[in-house]
Amino acid sequence: MSEPFQQIGDVVTDESFPGVDLALRRGRHIHKGDERWYAFLFDAQPLLEQFYARYGYELIHRSDGYFFLLPAHEALGKRQLSVAEMIVGQGLALAYLEPSRLEKGGLLTREELLNQLASAMGTDTLLRALAPQKKRPDERVAQRNARNKVAEALRRLEQLGFVELLDGEQLRLAPSLLRFAEPVRGLEAPSEALRQLLERGEVSLGSDEEERGEVEGGAEAEFDADVAAGAGAEAEAEAELDADVAADADGPGVGAGTEAEAELAIGGDARPLYDGSDLDFFEEPSGSPEADEA
Amino acid sequence: MPDPRSDDPTPAWLEALYQQRPAIDLSPLDLCFLVSLQRRAQEQNLAAFAEQQLLDTFAAVCALVAPETEQVAARATHSLRRLREQRLLVRVDGAGLSRAGEFALSRLGSSVADFYVEEEALSPDNLELLAHSLLGSLNEVLARAQRAKRPQDWQAAVIGPLRITAGDLILGIERRQRGLDIRQEGFQREISHWLETDWFGAIDRCRELLDGTAGTLRQLHELLLRYTHQFQNVLQDILELSCTAEQAVAEGVVHRVMGQIDRIAAWGAARHVAWSEYYDHVHRYLRDVVRLDPERALSQRLRDQLSGHGDAPFSLTVADAPALRVLRTVVPVPPPAPVRRPRGERKPTLEEAPALVADPLGERVRELLSDEHASGSLGLSELTARATADLPPEQQFASAGKVAELAARLTTPELARQRPWVAVRDGLVIEDWQLGRSPGGGS
Repeated sequence: MSEPFQQIGDVVTDESFPGVDLALRRGRHIHKGDERWYAFLFDAQPLLEQFYARYGYELIHRSDGYFFLLPAHEALGKRQLSVAEMIVGQGLALAYLEPSRLEKGGLLTREELLNQLASAMGTDTLLRALAPQKKRPDERVAQRNARNKVAEALRRLEQLGFVELLDGEQLRLAPSLLRFAEPVRGLEAPSEALRQLLERGEVSLGSDEEERGEVEGGAEAEFDADVAAGAGAEAEAEAELDADVAADADGPGVGAGTEAEAELAIGGDARPLYDGSDLDFFEEPSGSPEADEA
Repeated sequence: MPDPRSDDPTPAWLEALYQQRPAIDLSPLDLCFLVSLQRRAQEQNLAAFAEQQLLDTFAAVCALVAPETEQVAARATHSLRRLREQRLLVRVDGAGLSRAGEFALSRLGSSVADFYVEEEALSPDNLELLAHSLLGSLNEVLARAQRAKRPQDWQAAVIGPLRITAGDLILGIERRQRGLDIRQEGFQREISHWLETDWFGAIDRCRELLDGTAGTLRQLHELLLRYTHQFQNVLQDILELSCTAEQAVAEGVVHRVMGQIDRIAAWGAARHVAWSEYYDHVHRYLRDVVRLDPERALSQRLRDQLSGHGDAPFSLTVADAPALRVLRTVVPVPPPAPVRRPRGERKPTLEEAPALVADPLGERVRELLSDEHASGSLGLSELTARATADLPPEQQFASAGKVAELAARLTTPELARQRPWVAVRDGLVIEDWQLGRSPGGGS
């Protein structure tokens, strides 16, 4: 644990500050597993709270052992988690609370996560929530889309500091996952807790996807693309590309040192996109959906 | 890929082992029988079992663990056969089939039984005892090495004790280390089980077990560090003496023992770190999850929230500040060239290239015909002979046809009722023509 800071200047000149600042602004939750960053934030908390308040951010520290920035008004960059991210996040939080997880040191496999989600929500509900379709419902296509959505959600949740994707199938759960359980942690009714969280701006009803009307359209487009051209992987890649274009367009290059440092600090985009091919929950498709459609 | 030139015999062992197709297949009843034999041998100090003793032991095991078993004698026979085939039980009397034999557990059978029964884990007490004995043994070897003069002395005083006495003590420590590993796995399962069944009431028991194990591992780690340092010092002295005496075998044995000591010390450090991580994780869980939710209601409420997510969807808000943009100098891309009709012919005019064919035989035939026509008539056989005179023998036959074709094209052969066959040279006979004047000859 470093010495507590006296002035904001000392905080800003600390070597941890650039990485922590960029990570927090990109929505990352910094928990005890991020040992050096967490210790830095713990020591600099009073000064950084004032610092971020001037930008309109609220630096929040939860007793579960994590920090995050909450945007106080619309002028600042903020986003709501997607439906898939919310479902996967709650599934991970549920796993975090299970005592059986202790035996494995807080590790979880992707298959266990999917089974957890399927048992909690029911397979049909989960499929409808993750990959809604208007027409021509095909269970195997829906399952594959759902697996892709889960894989993508995991990648995003890793960038936000909720989970760490280890080599292979393993996931390491972070205490920041308890943020997904906030509406049900208190003694009051969940609706009342949700109302308070809404007032504080920590949650919103719906998601960015729904506001943009992307849930239906996006899923339908993906479904059509899958059936017509068997281009599931391409569709996923395009979705990734669309989402990442804004963030990655500059890339490391002339004058992009700070951004490159941020990417390095967050460690999000260095990992190759997970293709979701090994997520064999429910029932692994035996043949190609395109052939069945034909 | 193993190096075939290496001195390491392991690949050869593995190949031979694979060729033998060994396998161990034991039923729970077989295992119980094996364990029972091991216990009985220890309690009654039996070096071997008579056949009747084996059958009695099997019957006793059946009566205890599977009283519904029928045809016990037949099952005992099959079980004994399986154990013998898998070399877990060996016949030790050497009398063959002539009389009832005596049997004993093999080293493999004894090890299997020990694994399931013996609870021998490393503890600070037995580590202290083993390490102290090992240090005494090494000091004794050092003293003997200092007195050793002849190769036989080195063999008896250094190599043998290091291989057997020190080796056995180190193996004893390693065996107990593996025992402690298994016990730790059991502790982890036990903690999960306590929390599953008792939740809030299990906190104290969990903390007690965690603290106890952490303390044991810390003591073991410290003991190993302290003794490892002393072991390595003594072994280093023995190594220097063996180098001075040019005892290569002794050097190799000392190096091997040093490697084993390093492995033991590394185990202590690794387990200490691993348990520390587990300790932190469980303590955080007890503090953040169990203590704050004594009724264990949070999991159920979260499960309800997840299953009803579609009815009341909400979403967490996270910061998403756009990436810092740094303006940079942009070099505009030059506009593309305007589209214009191409000038000139699209298709180039084709020209016939003159054929450059070297035909020395044709030129020679033309030359001979013009010379001979100037002086008189000429026969095809003579023309062929002279035209092909300079050619290699293998080409002369093929060239004769070409000469005839050229002669027919360049002159007008005279028709004769009799056209004799004339030998041009050995192996080549042609029908002779009398060639007339060439159409363009002018003569």
